Amino acid sequence: MSDQTAIPLEDTRKAQRISPTVVTVATIYGIVALMIVASRLVSPSFGGLSQLETILYLSSFLVFCAFGQGLVILVRGLDLSIASVITVGGVLSAALMDGSNAGLFYVIPAILLACALIGVVNGIGVTVFNVPPFIMTMAVGIIVYSLCLGFTGGTPRGFPAPVLNDFMGSRFIGIPAPVWLLIAFAAMGTLVQSFSPFGRKLTAVGNNPEAAYVAGLPSRRLTVSVYAISAACAGFTGILLASYANGATLRMGDDYLLPSIAAVVVGGSSILGGKGTFLGTVGGAMLLTTLATILSALGIGQGWKTIMEGAVILLALILLRDTVFDSLRAVLVRKD
Amino acid sequence: MGQLLAVQDLAKRYGATVALGGVTMGIRAGEVHAILGENGAGKSTLVKILSGVVQPNDGTMLLDGAPHTPASIFAARGAGVSTAFQELSLIPHLSVAENLLLPKVSRGRFWPERRASIMQRAAAILAEWEITDIAPDAMIEDLPLAQRQRIEITRALSHATRLLVLDEPTAALPDTSWLFRQIRRLTERGVAVMYISHRLSEVREICQRATILRNGASIETVDLAGVDDAGIFAMMVGHAPAAPRSETETATGDILLETRDLHVGAIKGLNLTLRAGEIVGVAALEGQGQQDLFQALGGVRKRASGDIIVGGRSAPLGTPGKAQRTAPGIAFVPEERKADGIFDNLTAATNIVMADFASRSTGAFVNARLERNRAAKSAERVALSPRYLGFEVGNLSGGNQQKVLLARALMTGAKILILFDPARGVDVGTKQSIYAMMDDFVANGGTILFYSSELTELVQLSTRCVVLYNGQVSAEVSRADMTEERLLAAAHGPARTPPTPLREAS
Repeated sequence: MSDQTAIPLEDTRKAQRISPTVVTVATIYGIVALMIVASRLVSPSFGGLSQLETILYLSSFLVFCAFGQGLVILVRGLDLSIASVITVGGVLSAALMDGSNAGLFYVIPAILLACALIGVVNGIGVTVFNVPPFIMTMAVGIIVYSLCLGFTGGTPRGFPAPVLNDFMGSRFIGIPAPVWLLIAFAAMGTLVQSFSPFGRKLTAVGNNPEAAYVAGLPSRRLTVSVYAISAACAGFTGILLASYANGATLRMGDDYLLPSIAAVVVGGSSILGGKGTFLGTVGGAMLLTTLATILSALGIGQGWKTIMEGAVILLALILLRDTVFDSLRAVLVRKD
Repeated sequence: MGQLLAVQDLAKRYGATVALGGVTMGIRAGEVHAILGENGAGKSTLVKILSGVVQPNDGTMLLDGAPHTPASIFAARGAGVSTAFQELSLIPHLSVAENLLLPKVSRGRFWPERRASIMQRAAAILAEWEITDIAPDAMIEDLPLAQRQRIEITRALSHATRLLVLDEPTAALPDTSWLFRQIRRLTERGVAVMYISHRLSEVREICQRATILRNGASIETVDLAGVDDAGIFAMMVGHAPAAPRSETETATGDILLETRDLHVGAIKGLNLTLRAGEIVGVAALEGQGQQDLFQALGGVRKRASGDIIVGGRSAPLGTPGKAQRTAPGIAFVPEERKADGIFDNLTAATNIVMADFASRSTGAFVNARLERNRAAKSAERVALSPRYLGFEVGNLSGGNQQKVLLARALMTGAKILILFDPARGVDVGTKQSIYAMMDDFVANGGTILFYSSELTELVQLSTRCVVLYNGQVSAEVSRADMTEERLLAAAHGPARTPPTPLREAS
């Protein structure tokens, strides 16, 4: 009786068969694949598996920090401090490891913990003192950057552990180690974000904070933990970047802040929170990295390169909106 | 009287889903015409099409013989059709005056109109429609729901020159006399009114004819005088409604929740006892502190002073989470389903299981099937069909959304349910399921405190009824002498105060 809604059962079942999330993620990877194949036009050495490997390798750094950014965006926040926290990760690993492998197993956790604490400060500012995430994380980012500047006197010293540097260059079963790391990270991140009670709770908080509170969710604690995770991810990225470059610079995180946000949003997450998958974010990161690689190979000047990156991000956001996917789904459903 | 509005084979599809599949009906000038149907029958879609919010895929509408194809709300208004929406369309951060005069608040062509003059024009509109208790410069967000609804209706009244569409106008109104007076004034001028309501007694009072919708199609247009309630229900649901529920005995179970001299918001020194096995109804006119009481018991609002004793122990109830984790457990279902209740782009199953996520550790991983299985039992208790569990809640009808919220409350395992108007604006079938769930819940040792804006509901369900007036208990009515008249009288305060249709502004 009351179950008779206006939605006839047949239609909805068909529409339900293809979930919108699957369509979104598949589209993004489809675009990445197309771009890689099309890049053969740019250079004959492009378009093959080796280029795919390079892109996966390069996008791994972005993927690591975009995971945290994605969770923060999921709860209606934004983390602008990650550029500085990446620098913290890099500077600390260069300084503390100081070119030796000894103590690696407590230095890495210590660095991650220090970074997570920065995130906790962000989270407390946002939840307890109600500072808008934008302002809070930007302020913390500036402070942390200045601390790095003072700590290093302008030039970071030391080197990360040689083991880490070797790791970044090594291969297992013919595939670079960081790519394995990326795959493991993507799997774990997907489990956390889309298949765990924790991820469900975050989605709920982002979807409707008032309802989440009334439903008895510990919204504050969840939000603080998300900022802590974001900062820890940024620290992790910093450690790997320093290991890759065998040293740290003060501006090493700058290239990852805006792309981390762009990767999340291009990956189909809502910038307003409450919706998104990590697999989409990984796809978004690959899309941005592929684009950057192609533009570099074309030998375009830095200015034009940045303009085109911006244009592509805008285009992606306009084209990858829900309405477009909905009509795509409608077409697919009709063909059944 | 001639035909004012003629609708022929109207249809609306959203992608693959059909919201309206062939509505044919007519409304005469000067008549009040009811649209009856369960939630999801297509009433809201019909309203949206008439008022220009969405455009139909098929069919025609003639208004005074001319095609009516509004492209926007303002185009519809230009044609003389104005609408008071169920989900109020007022802007919270603007004043009453600005909301009434939108989209063109200022009359000045080069220079903005003076504020005093804007307020004056708004005051004239308020006075014309007999609203004396709301100031034109009051902010919408500061007004209680009932006053906001009256403003929404007044705005529609002031623009209706041919047809006024009222979508659940009394959902938050404690009293219909004001509204019905205005409707009669309007129809005397030959304006027709389309009246959508779940409350059949109201419909019978004000409407002459009714069109029944079922599954997006018009079933029949009837003269209300010539058909009884059972006949109408039968047309709405396709069969006769369930028999009225049996009487509940007076409860003598353990005291599960007690308040002592509770002060919170407008509540001043309230003593209340909830025993296992009883449904305690709360009756009150709008604004007597019932929201504050329910929010305090649900843990949403902190009490100012006094004690709340849960399961024999004093419980501070700092947050809804803490309220859920008290010994027998308190689960709260809030007034504003959309704003405070549902997560609209999560599935129904996730929405229900969220109670588990909030209160206990639930294993490391979940997926859609696991959640559906876990939610199934609670869903069954509120008669929510399992096939909705995989749907995003935002796509379900209001009645099913409410079932999802109740299922979540049950999922917490709480023994104390605090329900604020649980059956507001839902269809007959859903109401019956909710009532059955409530009976079943107290029969199994739980206790329920519920507020309802419908007196019939209170009389039908309550073991006993507490009447609030001015933040205090003005009467407690036992099952034996519970009638709507008795509750209404007590809700208007001590006997010396004559009942007034409009509450004085406090």
